Amino acid sequence: MDDAKPLINKAMPDDARGWVESQLCDGEKVLFAVVGDLSLFEKYDACTLIVTNRRAVIVDKNHENGFFSAVFSDVEKVNVKRMYGNARMNFKMKSGEEVTVFRYTYAVAELCDVAAAFIEAVSRGEDIDEQLEIVSAAYEKKMRVCPKCGRTLIRPGAECIKCQSKGKIISKLFKYVKPQGALLIIALIMSMMSTALALLPPSLTQRLVDDVLPNKKEGDLITIVLILLGSYIIGTLLNASRGYMLRIAGDRIVRYMRNDVYEKAQHLPMKFYDKTSTGSVINRISGDTNNLQAFALRISQEIIVQLFMLVGIVIIMFLKDWKLSLLALCPVPIVVLGAKYFSRKIAPFYRRIWKRWAAVSSVLTDTIPCVRVVKSFAGEKRATERFKKYNDEWYKVDVSSAKITTTFPAIVSFVITCGSLLIWGVGGTWVIKGFGGLTPGLLVAFLSYVSMFYGPINFFAYLSDSYQGALSSAERVLDILDAEPEPDFGHGNCPEKIEGKIEFRNVNFSFDRAKKTLSDINLTIEPGDIVGIVGTTGSGKSTLINLLMRFYDNYDGEILLDGQNIKDIDMGYYRSKIGYVQQEPMMFSDTIFNNIAYGVPDAHIEQVINAADVANAHDFIILQPDGYDSMLGERGVGLSGGERQRISIARAVLKNPSILVFDEATASVDSETENQIQEAIERLIYGRTTIMIAHRLSTLRKANKIVVVDKGRIIECGSHDELMALKGKFYRLIQIQSMSEQVRQQKEEEHFE
Amino acid sequence: MSERLYINADEAKITYREFARVDMQMYDGRVFTDLEPRRLFPLSGLTKYITLIDRDMKEVAIIRDLDHILPESRQALEKCLDEYYMIPKITAILDRKEKNGLLKYKVDTNYGIREFDIRNRHSDIKNLYDGRVLFRDSDDNRYEIPDITKLDKKSWLKINIDL
Ligand SMILES: Nc1ncnc2c1ncn2[C@@H]1O[C@H](COP(=O)(O)OP(=O)(O)OP(=O)(O)O)[C@@H](O)[C@H]1O
Ligand SMILES: [Mg+2]
Repeated sequence: MDDAKPLINKAMPDDARGWVESQLCDGEKVLFAVVGDLSLFEKYDACTLIVTNRRAVIVDKNHENGFFSAVFSDVEKVNVKRMYGNARMNFKMKSGEEVTVFRYTYAVAELCDVAAAFIEAVSRGEDIDEQLEIVSAAYEKKMRVCPKCGRTLIRPGAECIKCQSKGKIISKLFKYVKPQGALLIIALIMSMMSTALALLPPSLTQRLVDDVLPNKKEGDLITIVLILLGSYIIGTLLNASRGYMLRIAGDRIVRYMRNDVYEKAQHLPMKFYDKTSTGSVINRISGDTNNLQAFALRISQEIIVQLFMLVGIVIIMFLKDWKLSLLALCPVPIVVLGAKYFSRKIAPFYRRIWKRWAAVSSVLTDTIPCVRVVKSFAGEKRATERFKKYNDEWYKVDVSSAKITTTFPAIVSFVITCGSLLIWGVGGTWVIKGFGGLTPGLLVAFLSYVSMFYGPINFFAYLSDSYQGALSSAERVLDILDAEPEPDFGHGNCPEKIEGKIEFRNVNFSFDRAKKTLSDINLTIEPGDIVGIVGTTGSGKSTLINLLMRFYDNYDGEILLDGQNIKDIDMGYYRSKIGYVQQEPMMFSDTIFNNIAYGVPDAHIEQVINAADVANAHDFIILQPDGYDSMLGERGVGLSGGERQRISIARAVLKNPSILVFDEATASVDSETENQIQEAIERLIYGRTTIMIAHRLSTLRKANKIVVVDKGRIIECGSHDELMALKGKFYRLIQIQSMSEQVRQQKEEEHFE
Repeated sequence: MSERLYINADEAKITYREFARVDMQMYDGRVFTDLEPRRLFPLSGLTKYITLIDRDMKEVAIIRDLDHILPESRQALEKCLDEYYMIPKITAILDRKEKNGLLKYKVDTNYGIREFDIRNRHSDIKNLYDGRVLFRDSDDNRYEIPDITKLDKKSWLKINIDL
């Protein structure tokens, strides 16, 4: 370790480097440093915490002499206080004095936590090298970022999923367009043909006007009319079958895309759903994929067709009369410049409209399922008002964008009409004066070409508009498609037998940096143990289980199952081995049978009945008119809370898991049913590792180990008797509960008298 | 549940202690020491409903409105709150880039110049109806634009895309 370079999170600022060069004593060397971003007096500034093998030094201009230095042996405690958007480090010296030595934002809060622990441990006299290893692990984790985008990588050297798949949007869409290639190419050829056909009639009318009509050639008239008819018939047929093919291709594109987005959405980590509203996910799957489909067709078909048409017309126009052609091109620059300006104006609106719309739909997804709450608080009017407010916001933005979106085409068509007037005026004069051999037929034909010519021009002018719309749709769809799925590095690693030994080692976790939810969790659960977890509400019990279930994986430390890191086990297999009864039982809108059989879709009917029986659910199911076929409403409407809980126990039981987890499984049933379920559970848990979270401590009578969690820490752990003897928190909880139990009994007795 | 102690006006004298904590002496003689002031509404009500929490994380009292208490008390509390809540106010947007799916912002704030990354413009940038815009960067730090309509034109054009 001797010549190891000091660990540091970024380049050391000059003043800190100056300190290192001038102030280090003999034999002293820098172990690690944290370059922060705040000064003591709340300005952004690069201040540095330097830890050497003897002391901790903070270089900050606001300290006397520009730095603060404390020898480890003088430090008693290091207090880190996370505040709002910033944090501070206080040294409590052995002299009793406490000083704030370092301030920083959350950007370096994790490193500072580790640094504080290091300083404190070493001051207590623990081994420097050992402690330094913990620090260096933290640095490694912090530095494990994608060099391109700065996201934390899952393990060193892993490819950043976000960056790796970051390509042009077009090329991403191409993945969905490609399988439809054959259809699209046929459709393309058809539309080229029909475009070519469309270029024919003006030339024929020219002949009619200039030759056939003045010279009274009746035979030719009929031929030309018949040719025109034929071309219209073919054109119509071509267009109809082309439209049909495009529809099929488009529907396929949107179907695959939707499937992909939905599938991907299933694999996204819980973190994503914590932050994203259901409404916005639904919008992306339903609306945005449609937008993209339309856009994909546009760029794979229309662009080529329109370009073909544009070139064709320009060539024909120039062949017929180059002077008139130049005249016809005059308004083009105006239209093109206008379109550029327009697309710049409109771009932000698309995002804003979508955001407002997402807000509207999130009100929907929020309030419609909560309609019971709304009604019971007579909140119908308020709900309506809230919806109206958001809907009005959407309306306002949409209307203000409508101004732009409608004015622009009007101006364009005005400019174009002026262009054709110009041709009428100038060309008409030339015809009257007989200038340049311009005939009336040619003029008429030319005017039809000019009107066709503005079709593609208009298309290209609007292309950027629809491109903008598609771009923001694409961004949202790709937000899901490109998001990192739950990492499953152990894919395929399915240990044959699961004993059920669970270990938490130094686990620390926070949902966001502002608040630590779990701290220093160390816990060993032996195979077959029945572990009760108790603690006040909000103490982190369910979170502990969330980590065990691998719903969140950005914790520090490790969780092992039978000595293997759970992150290295095949995720699907791992979860299938855990029977988890959630705190809020969630049901699908499906039959009771399917709800129980959810985890084992091919279960035998009798297995399902058996599971229901074990969970004490069978007795109430048989009383339902439709028995196991009873349809549940959304989220289980139609069942009582306790019934739902029993179904979810049955669901877990059916899986025949090696590990059982009950999060308040019997919270909403009466004592008698609870006893029954308890017995059922007791039968069930024989030989399996079981974790039970319970508020009612009587539930835990079978537990051979009880863990008391408080404010995210394990404060007590041991058998029931050990904890009673300890006379700590558990003892107090028991006392309070048995007291209230006594009161209840007394009351009941009084009533009976 | 005991009666909640509300401080309305001059019934308490609050003095700054250290490390963003205060002591409180009540008019009726009660004394509470080593309290941490925190906003009950850090986003919507900056001077109203300040709670005082003791070392055991239990609330001791709530101050209804900073505008109504003794000026010295108010000063002490504001000093704490300023220390505790660090939400830099963005005065100008110097640069905004999109790179590798991140929004890279460079802004001028009342704390100085700062660069930060935004992961997801949909969830990490919020514009409130009163004209404020709140940011949360990839490290969970917060920033705000106090009034979007007061931003200079150049800055406005840069941020407009993300609203
Ligand atoms: N998804 C989340 N995002 C942010 N914070 C969360 C999230 N889920 C829980 N928390 C917070 O984490 C803490 C622990 O929550 P947890 O659900 O683990 O409590 P608990 O011990 O299970 O409580 P209870 O007994 O009420 O079920 C709480 O303070 C809670 O507010
Ligand atoms: Mg819970």
